[in-house]
Amino acid sequence: MTEAQRGLTRKELLAAGAVGAAGVYFTGGRALAAGSPAVAGRMDGVTIAWLTWFDHFFPQQLAVTKKKTGISCHPKLAPSDSEIYTTIRQTGSQFDIAAMDALWVPKLHKDGYTDSFDLSSIGASKQLYSDARNIKYWKDGSNTMAFPNGWSTVNVYYNPKYVKTKPTSYDALLDPKYKKKIAYENQPENIVAIAGLATGAKQPFQQSVAQIKRSKEWMKKWKPNVLHLADQNTENINLAKDETVWIVLGNLGVDLRVKAAGGPLMKQAVPKEGLIGWFDGEQMVKKSKHKDVFAEFIDVTYSQTSYIAKNFIKNGRPMFNEKAYKLLVNQGYKHRADLFHYNNPELIFQSHIEGPSKNIQAVTDAFNEVFGG
Amino acid sequence: MGGGSRAAAHLGRFGGLVPAAVYFVLFFFVPFGLIVCFSFWHDFDYRVVHHWTLENYRYFIHQHVYLHTMWATLWMGIAATGITLALAFPFAYWLSRYVPGGLQKPLLVLVIVPFWTSYLLRMYSWLNTLGRKGLVNTALEKAGITDHPLTLLYSRWSVVVVLVYLYFPFAALTLYSSIDRFDWDQLRAAMDLGASPLRAIGRILVPQIRPGIITAVIFVFIPILGEYLPPQIIGGTSVPMLGNVIDNFQREALYARASAIALLIAAFVIVLLVLFRKSLSAKEAYGA
Repeated sequence: MTEAQRGLTRKELLAAGAVGAAGVYFTGGRALAAGSPAVAGRMDGVTIAWLTWFDHFFPQQLAVTKKKTGISCHPKLAPSDSEIYTTIRQTGSQFDIAAMDALWVPKLHKDGYTDSFDLSSIGASKQLYSDARNIKYWKDGSNTMAFPNGWSTVNVYYNPKYVKTKPTSYDALLDPKYKKKIAYENQPENIVAIAGLATGAKQPFQQSVAQIKRSKEWMKKWKPNVLHLADQNTENINLAKDETVWIVLGNLGVDLRVKAAGGPLMKQAVPKEGLIGWFDGEQMVKKSKHKDVFAEFIDVTYSQTSYIAKNFIKNGRPMFNEKAYKLLVNQGYKHRADLFHYNNPELIFQSHIEGPSKNIQAVTDAFNEVFGG
Repeated sequence: MGGGSRAAAHLGRFGGLVPAAVYFVLFFFVPFGLIVCFSFWHDFDYRVVHHWTLENYRYFIHQHVYLHTMWATLWMGIAATGITLALAFPFAYWLSRYVPGGLQKPLLVLVIVPFWTSYLLRMYSWLNTLGRKGLVNTALEKAGITDHPLTLLYSRWSVVVVLVYLYFPFAALTLYSSIDRFDWDQLRAAMDLGASPLRAIGRILVPQIRPGIITAVIFVFIPILGEYLPPQIIGGTSVPMLGNVIDNFQREALYARASAIALLIAAFVIVLLVLFRKSLSAKEAYGA
């Protein structure tokens, strides 16, 4: 084919492309940009970006917040605390609010990525249990580093049909008769922390290199018994439901969820070495351009008690909202809420609380050297 | 010819490559270069410190457990690729040779229908297929073949089955496009001259569609080396692949470690591609 037959020479094509691209930029491109959440927000109310977990909100709940305040929210789901930490560190002002667990909150704050705020100035804080209003780890003078959301300990649940002796120690999980009969989630830090508890570490999330070595040896003994480390805890509920596994380590309520799925009776055991646990909350990102609406957004979103109660029913872990507990009681869910220890938030502060490790590389190396091979 | 006109001639000759070059630099070389740099830096306190070191590579080379994982990954890749091609070849052969022209396209669409659903969803559907109370076990029990559910999940073979399911369309489409161009008269001529059907396929068809077979191997085997979801969801703790090791480092923001092991896989893939390249000329690959 000759240049003449093509209709356009290469030069003409490039020129046409450049003109077209400029046209797109000056017309459609700008219109598209105007359609992006951030710009649309500035033109019509405010749109905030919320880095959080899927179980922190319902879309309808955010719609109510928007209706009441004009604040739109663009939630982005978060994978893990460490990835939230790196995301906030690298994205600057792209996010306005970030959810995080327990001792990760003071780390993000200490490293200068979040601002503390006056919790009492947020109306929704009056709905919280007093324990949640006074989380010592989150105090920054008279201010607080995060607005509390929910919590859970990581417990041992067992099927009494097969597990005849209640596992009152983590070492009981090493028994060869449980070969491939245990499931937990794929959370390297938590698994090494549990191994740390089993081997006598007083601060399982802050193990020394020598303690991590001991934990690794324990994990080696445990691995043959672990059938699956799930991405989603629903996978473990199904495994317990059809009795593929007899023991599940998981957040509060595994027993109820297995039963609700049509599975067998599961019982809870608390190992004598103690439990690991987490609680989470929402932080104000330091470089956020919408810090002025943080309090209003949190207030209206977390004051929607019916959604907080619904969140507990759907996602199955206690919330820090006391008013929602009362609503649950009125709705006939007292027994269920009490099984989750919803009304005893002080329990979480008696557990070994999740947080960043000072030896994260050694922790992950140890985990991978056992479960990655 | 003056300097200006020489530059203009060069511009005319290579100017058209500029968009492709920009694209490659921005979306391939820069990210790849970053990963290379990361692999020679080190992680500290959830951040990558720009201090040059060979430590990440030294770590992987000295940990025999990763060598074992590497072999397991290769083994599963080879098994899944072999089975995928063994299934895709007769399918493509049948489709091209025996299915009427009007039906071929609808059948090809059926092959790619699974791509219309989420990758994750397709993976989770296998939990219901191979689970203790899943489709296969229920069928076996109802047919009286077994009296108790078999453990089909959480083994190497269950991962291989799922990998075959995931990559079958890639192999089938590649082989079909290759076989479809084949002149069937050659096969008939071979059989007229006394070759058995299998011998005719092996001596006449297979050599002529070799580029298609190699392309199918590349499309199936290489992505499998980086897979992490099938072993994570279907495989259980006894079947980790190298992708899972990378995923675990990534989860804990250990990007330097993750980059080093990702590059070790990449290096292996490059060696494979070079080997394939030697047995496949560009002319053959593009069907000229």
